Amino acid sequence: MNRRPLTVVLIVPTGVGASIGGFAGDALPVARAIAQVSDTLITHPNVLNGAQLYWPIPNALYVEGYALDKFAAGCWGLQPVHQNRIGLILDAGIEPDLQLRHLQAVDAARATLGLNITDWVLTDRPLQVELRISQSGASWGTIGNPDSLLRAAEKLIKQARVEAIAVVARFPDDEGSLALENYRRGKGVDPLAGAEAVISHLVVRTFKIPCAHAPALSALPLDPHLSPRSAAEEIGYTFLPCVLAGLSKAPQFVTPTVGHASCLSQVLGGQDARTQVLGGQDARTQLLGGQDAHPTREQFYANRRDFESQDLWADRVDAVVIPATACGGSAILSLSGRSSVQIIAVGDNKTQMQATPEKLGIKALQVNSYLEAIGVLVAKRAGISPASLGADISSLRRLPD
Amino acid sequence: MTTHFISAEVDLHDTAEELHSAIEIELQKHGEPLRWAVTDVDVDRQKAVVEGYVLVEASPAIA
Repeated sequence: MNRRPLTVVLIVPTGVGASIGGFAGDALPVARAIAQVSDTLITHPNVLNGAQLYWPIPNALYVEGYALDKFAAGCWGLQPVHQNRIGLILDAGIEPDLQLRHLQAVDAARATLGLNITDWVLTDRPLQVELRISQSGASWGTIGNPDSLLRAAEKLIKQARVEAIAVVARFPDDEGSLALENYRRGKGVDPLAGAEAVISHLVVRTFKIPCAHAPALSALPLDPHLSPRSAAEEIGYTFLPCVLAGLSKAPQFVTPTVGHASCLSQVLGGQDARTQVLGGQDARTQLLGGQDAHPTREQFYANRRDFESQDLWADRVDAVVIPATACGGSAILSLSGRSSVQIIAVGDNKTQMQATPEKLGIKALQVNSYLEAIGVLVAKRAGISPASLGADISSLRRLPD
Repeated sequence: MTTHFISAEVDLHDTAEELHSAIEIELQKHGEPLRWAVTDVDVDRQKAVVEGYVLVEASPAIA
């Protein structure tokens, strides 16, 4: 039987205090369940990474958040792989013993899982991660030496020809803080998550290859009241195994570049073209000197069709599952513009955000739980309107003459 | 190169796509947008509250 494959995107934004998925890979059961009713599940490291724990899901694509935003905007496509050659970056700020723990975790992944991890580099300066909490309650942070991170990534790509990069940065030990205490009890916001996103976003944005991050931290004293949601991060010395497993089969990114335009909006001279502004200079002025700087719509689509024959693009997405209060991210705003995409907003995955579909004017199907969301996906796959499964079915509407 | 945290208010638009573009344009005043989200909406004032990070390639000149 020929039918359209069901492609589902599952997003649990990182660092926003999601009650499901805001801790140690605790949205992984949701991902496993949704993958069972989907042909392809596209999700991101925050959902799938459980430090020492992970679960191989054959039909899931592990896509870093920056790339997921680009994918949702129609700028990047996803190209599945058999296996990536992975390189490792260790922050020079990590103590020698802790570096060795991470190198041994890599060796374990090579020997026990058969992953292809070939080379590692130490950054030429400590990355100097700093953590903050924003006014909204989301965690964020900065790195003091982003150039050092990018130099290390470039070295791995050019000298070792790696196809994916795992980064381990030394994060501040926050022992005794209220934020950490709450996190270990399954409450509040992951204080590390926002800064982790900055690190991986920088590498993906610059080199357009898969990247994910694991923080290096000193071991914490035993806590008898540790929440099951946070427990995966306290059963080993590193958070690295899940990152390596995810990157091993993470899809590569493809861009249908025609001239210098990688999004249709750029071709058409739309406002998105301004996303190329760097260092205060409008990239359009740089484009003018390039070849074919103003391709036609036909050229763009012809070029893109070549890529689309094998790869996955945003127009293949059928549904997005998102916490109901966290609908204000780039990916959701992009995908909500596609009439074929069903946005499913899950009410009981609470977050610190207040960006609901109603406030944003986004058309979404509101459900209470992930169990209900999975029911909606099953109905969609079967070609059944979810409304017809309820007790009350509204009357047919007559449009005005 | 430096990363900076930005918070801003952006007028709501008729469609989410237009809002997406307006947010990117607003953040580009400070650098290249790296990650952002609408964290809340002031419905009365029709403003989206946005938090995000931008990337600045070089330190801005001191006036």
